[in-house]
Amino acid sequence: MKLALSSAEGSKERAVPLKLGLISEQVERMAESATAAARHELLAEAQKLLRRADPAALRATLSSRREPFPWLVAEPVGTFNATFPAPTPPPDFSVVAADGSFIPPDRHSPLRFYVINTGHAVITYGRHPDAHLDSEGRLYFEDAELYLDPTGRRIPIEGERLGVRMAIEEMRALREALGLASLPVVALRDGSLILWALQRKDESETKQAFLDQFLSCLDDFHRAQVPVASYISYTGSQEVVNALRVSLCRDDPARCNRCSLSTDQKDLCCFLSTLRDRHLFSGMLADGERSDLFRSRSAILDEYGEHRVQFFYVNVGGEIARIEAPEWVTSNRAMLDLVHGLVYDQCQRSGDYPPYPPVLMEAHEQAVISTTERRVVEQLVEEALARRGVTYVRSAKDRSKRSRGV
Amino acid sequence: MTESQRIGEIVETSTTSFVAVSKTLHQPPALGSLVKVQLGGEDYAYGVVAFGTTTSPDPGRRAVPRASDEVYDEAIYAAQPQLTRVLHTEFTVVLVGCFEDGTIRQHLPPQPPRLHYDVHGCTSDEVRRFSERLVYFRLLLSARGEVPAEQLLAAHIRQVYRARDRDAAWLERAAREVTSLLRDDYDRMMTVLYGIEPAG
Repeated sequence: MKLALSSAEGSKERAVPLKLGLISEQVERMAESATAAARHELLAEAQKLLRRADPAALRATLSSRREPFPWLVAEPVGTFNATFPAPTPPPDFSVVAADGSFIPPDRHSPLRFYVINTGHAVITYGRHPDAHLDSEGRLYFEDAELYLDPTGRRIPIEGERLGVRMAIEEMRALREALGLASLPVVALRDGSLILWALQRKDESETKQAFLDQFLSCLDDFHRAQVPVASYISYTGSQEVVNALRVSLCRDDPARCNRCSLSTDQKDLCCFLSTLRDRHLFSGMLADGERSDLFRSRSAILDEYGEHRVQFFYVNVGGEIARIEAPEWVTSNRAMLDLVHGLVYDQCQRSGDYPPYPPVLMEAHEQAVISTTERRVVEQLVEEALARRGVTYVRSAKDRSKRSRGV
Repeated sequence: MTESQRIGEIVETSTTSFVAVSKTLHQPPALGSLVKVQLGGEDYAYGVVAFGTTTSPDPGRRAVPRASDEVYDEAIYAAQPQLTRVLHTEFTVVLVGCFEDGTIRQHLPPQPPRLHYDVHGCTSDEVRRFSERLVYFRLLLSARGEVPAEQLLAAHIRQVYRARDRDAAWLERAAREVTSLLRDDYDRMMTVLYGIEPAG
């Protein structure tokens, strides 16, 4: 993540070194190939495959294979192609959401710190409509907050690690905000519930430090019997598409150079490798309908216990959104229906097209840290240091970026 | 109105006017009504409400149409409870006088009212006392806001007339003052006079 402080410099007039003439020709060619008729035919083929693929056979393949798959493959919990209309929401209910943003540690600054701001929105619908929108920010500067293993390897909390740190704060904000909601309620988070950044081999310290905190928030939701879910707009996920590739495959999915499929099937498999789940479901789900459930097989989920994540796709009216929820939510039909019904209801209430849940939008609005606010934080640090006789000296490289002399 | 009420908080201020956010959404004080702000101790600044607007406080967010065949007008607010938290109503007040050393003065206050201070509505008694003299009509006529000054003055006279229990003698005095102030500009004078006709 690039520090937003420097983004203001981008607005200064400057000569454009990018030769747009060349780029625009290529843009045309790219758009041409993306909309070619052949792709439409292949999409229709892929959707036919979704209708006839055998979920039981795929489950058997998944459980019998020893080696890992080269791609992330979803496991159908039920069918591949069943669809479910959006349940009608109850007459009175609340929707709660939390979101976060941060000011990352700035290595050009003489002091190391980061700021996490979480925003939450609690909106109650029905006979007693109400809304609570608020945010809470905190500056982290203690060694134990800045580094994992602060006395040993000193692994800095930045980049993806900071992202996970923020995800935990968001879950906590979501949990706190529940107190303002009335029942029944659904708690929504923007982005995935799957902390995939923790599954890398070299991130074992991060996992150790963070995973339990994240899961303990989910425990609290489970204990309170409040369905929690995450909403992913414009998802790039290919897990269901990959499941189709596996069910198409007659050989070893890890060895595409030894493929015995017919040319047509090979073409379809190649096409699937470029397809997103949201494309696959776009013609399959009517307005409001959701897909059947799929179990995500990200390695990190092996450590989620009862919170192992399942997902479904839903046509929210103009977009196919991915909804993730822990198994204790998706296996409880009343909770699942509440999540599905309220997510769709939220999108119906959106003033935008494609729609986006207002509760997530308001939580985001509360969480966002503006460029001005980022500067204010920097100034506060500067002033606090100055009062103690320390002059704030930014790194020479950073200064050179801020005043771009010729 | 018998007791003065807190009706808004100042978010922009200057020597001649200020902008306040209304305590209630969609309900800025009436156009032309008299309001006051504490300047310190017993001193107050008096002003006349000159403009009102309801928008998103975030300049980056604009209202979007939300009505459907079934849900419109007030029902939109029930269907979208967050709207009441992300919209606000602002009003502009032009300063017309102050209460200093125990006396009502109809000139600009020496200092602009302070940011974040409360705006209070004025009681009928206060309106009555303040409008005994009409020198401040000149300040109102020199206001340069969204609402033309003569429309603002007419709205103010209507508000005071009502607060003074339809005091016909006062209305006649106000009309004479307007006639005298605008004697060189027939069109503007008639705009005010038509605007304050009790039947109009």
